Amino acid sequence: MRILIAEDDEISCRILTNNLTKWGHEVVVTRNGNDAWRALCARDAPSLAILDRVMPDVDGIEICRHLREVESPVHVILLTSLNRREDLLEGLEAGADDYLTKPLDAHELRARLQAAQRILELQESLRQRVRELEQAIEERKAAEEALRNLSLTDQLTGLYNYRGFINLAEHHLKISRRETHPSLLIYADMDGLKGINDTLGHRAGSTAIAAAGQILRNTFRDCDIIGRLGGDEFAVLVPNIQEPESTKVIERLRHNVSEYNEMSGHKFTIGLSIGAVEIDHQHAWGIEDQMARADEIMYREKREKKGHEEVQKKPA
Amino acid sequence: MSLTATETQPVDLAILAVYDDAQIEGEPDFVVELIDLYLNEVPRLFDTIRKSVANKDRSTARRAAHSLRGSSANLGVLQMATIAGELEHLENDYSNVALELLSSLENEFERVKEILNAERQRRSA
Repeated sequence: MRILIAEDDEISCRILTNNLTKWGHEVVVTRNGNDAWRALCARDAPSLAILDRVMPDVDGIEICRHLREVESPVHVILLTSLNRREDLLEGLEAGADDYLTKPLDAHELRARLQAAQRILELQESLRQRVRELEQAIEERKAAEEALRNLSLTDQLTGLYNYRGFINLAEHHLKISRRETHPSLLIYADMDGLKGINDTLGHRAGSTAIAAAGQILRNTFRDCDIIGRLGGDEFAVLVPNIQEPESTKVIERLRHNVSEYNEMSGHKFTIGLSIGAVEIDHQHAWGIEDQMARADEIMYREKREKKGHEEVQKKPA
Repeated sequence: MSLTATETQPVDLAILAVYDDAQIEGEPDFVVELIDLYLNEVPRLFDTIRKSVANKDRSTARRAAHSLRGSSANLGVLQMATIAGELEHLENDYSNVALELLSSLENEFERVKEILNAERQRRSA
């Protein structure tokens, strides 16, 4: 074991050093508190320290206290004079693991060191186990993340996730172009989700997101592509549709939202800001460009709503 | 002068002999080394005590007495350890008592030196 000694008294120091060396330990000798502290803060610090209670600069108890403040794993044995029980208690309170009284009894010292070594080995195997567990958790998280990246559906709503939606919508747009059908792209963003999270908690927030997903599902047909793009954003691609059906379907969505709010009995209400664009079959833009258009329109609605809310918030 | 049965030996040689266990092979006699350290250290500590008592510097005197007690106890110099302990924990009537204790320490040290030097001789022979 590597053992640090902090002892200003030369004779005690020699006795300690000789005994420890004889027992096969590697000894780091310091003769004052400051040097001891520096050695214990070093990268390759000894795992055990024998500190004299009384030293001219920084005493053993002070070093103990500092070590525990920085959560050092060093095992500390404090050396105190015989019959100084109050020193002893103070030392243990300061974070010493053990103590020895002077003049030193070599047999006792050896027995305490063996006990210390057992504790240090146990602690090390515990730390090792914690490291292994942390690594296992990291690996598992990475695997789950990889799986999520591979998946096409959103866990919370059961709708397509961003990846699933884009892939499928892109494909449908190509089919629509070829078959010369117009499509409708709807971008829907929930209103006030942050407020729900902040006041009712994240579980309520999740419930609201799931409910919004369910409303979308009930509103559209099976052949329409519905996705949760992330957070509070949804998108729907409705193939083969044109006015006046387009307007009707958006009205149906708004109607279903308010119906939900009347019936749900939840403490929150769901609001959707909606942006919709018709996609002509002659249009050569890809799905992401179309989504940017829809997003912009949605955002305009959201801004208007916010202005409206400001007015409504005036005390009744 | 005859020693009575109750009088403490100035040096308990059995305590010194324990340090033979810490002797590292191939190195000079460890007990001799400790004796040399002690014989060097004590006059220095006496000096410090005398000066700091004269200067009314009690904390320095106390620290020196503490060292003297520790080193003496380590080497089995038990009487000196006891007297140094008294000096270390002295509270009242400081200077006079302190100087008295110092002079009994010096007397005792004369006896201790003889014994330790004899032990040193024996081991170096």
